[in-house]
Amino acid sequence: MELKTILLVEDNPDDEALTLRALKKNNIANEVTVARDGQEALDYFFGTNAAMNLTPAVVLLDLKLPKVSGLDVLQRLRGDERTRTQPVVILTSSKEEQDIVNGYRLGANSYIRKPVNFDQFLEAVRQLGLYWLVLNEMPGQGGRP
Amino acid sequence: MSAGITTIAGHDLPIDSGSYAKAILNILGDFSEEKIRLRNTQKAIQNILEDAETEKFRLKATQKALLNIMEDSAVEKARLESMQKATFNILDDLKTEKNNAERTNHELVREIAERKRMEEALEAANKELEVFSYSVSHDLRAPLRAIDGFSQALIEDYPDRLDEQGRYYLERVRAGTQRMAELIDDILQLSRLTRTEMRFETVDISMLAESAIADLRRAEPLRQVEVSIQPDLMAEGDHNLLRIALVNLLANAWKFTGRQPEARIELGAMCDGDVRVFFVRDNGVGFDMTYVNKLFGAFQRLHTTSEFPGTGIGLATVQRIIRRHGGRVWAEGAVNQGATFYFALPSNQNA
Repeated sequence: MELKTILLVEDNPDDEALTLRALKKNNIANEVTVARDGQEALDYFFGTNAAMNLTPAVVLLDLKLPKVSGLDVLQRLRGDERTRTQPVVILTSSKEEQDIVNGYRLGANSYIRKPVNFDQFLEAVRQLGLYWLVLNEMPGQGGRP
Repeated sequence: MSAGITTIAGHDLPIDSGSYAKAILNILGDFSEEKIRLRNTQKAIQNILEDAETEKFRLKATQKALLNIMEDSAVEKARLESMQKATFNILDDLKTEKNNAERTNHELVREIAERKRMEEALEAANKELEVFSYSVSHDLRAPLRAIDGFSQALIEDYPDRLDEQGRYYLERVRAGTQRMAELIDDILQLSRLTRTEMRFETVDISMLAESAIADLRRAEPLRQVEVSIQPDLMAEGDHNLLRIALVNLLANAWKFTGRQPEARIELGAMCDGDVRVFFVRDNGVGFDMTYVNKLFGAFQRLHTTSEFPGTGIGLATVQRIIRRHGGRVWAEGAVNQGATFYFALPSNQNA
């Protein structure tokens, strides 16, 4: 079975490296595509070179991003028929109430605060991978419009 | 002069005697007519005089009446004048009053404008604080994650190039980042306390305390602590904020009785006039009253972290919450003889 892609939307190279490390440490072998700002994330889905048949298993979405914010990306994804059901996990630094509320209001599937402690981060990524890459069932390719 | 002429009483009289007599007779005749005319005139004058006398009487009466009227009007005038004066006084007073009112009004308008400006400034400051703490919560943690994560990576990836000392240092680095992360979270929590809107209701203090103690027991099931909570203690306040205050006070009591083999924690209340005073008492390590003023300062600690862990935010949090309720918090204690924390809440917050 072919492993589905993970789309990591992250502007901080440190966080990018640590997330990739955490995935590797947890033996998550899925290909990871990195979008380094909100616009790149939108281009991945809607840009001229976008391969619309690419449906990442999960989008790991940071909120504070250059150009287009994470919440704006989420809003665009939920507003488009092609990406309405795309699993999106907000993975960000803060747990400011307004971010959590807005995240869920705009249709996030999950909200995870990146722990400072790397061991805890590792554990968070392990559970995340287990849930979204293994346990969770999505409508098949044929079921998508 | 033979035909001399002399003029007498308007008559040209001839000088000769015959015509002279005739002329005289004519004159006499004229006189008689004149006499009648004179008499008539006299009579008319008499009538007129008589009429004038009557008129004089009438005039006198009128004059008298006029005088009376004038006298009356003088009195009236005086009265009017005094009334006018009074009116002027009143007008003056009114004017002063009006000026005063205008001034007061002016002051009020200025005060309102001033207050509005202050409110706007406060709102702006609050907004800025919000932006600031949002940025803190997002941006300050990211570098910490890098420090911690890459320290861990060094330990894991270069075990052969790091001796025990090297690994120990990296663990110290990681512990430092951990502590800093806690401090950032505490600062954010503290700043959130003053920003959240308060909703007053009747709060069951005893129940909040019971549930806080239950949480503490769950977290450390092996500890034996005798807890006594006075039932049905009620207070007016914000439920969530009072819960945070109680959790902090009880967690403190729980923590600082950690080395006490027979730990005791008590929650009670007493009345001081109109004011309800609640207290949390423990028989833990206590504190030196010399430092009582430092107890409630943010990030102030009377113990090292190795003795008792913590960031020194708990009592600062409690103080902030109680002060927002218009209340007061204070403490009594002695080294190794326990501590009592009091908080007073105004009994009728809403009234």
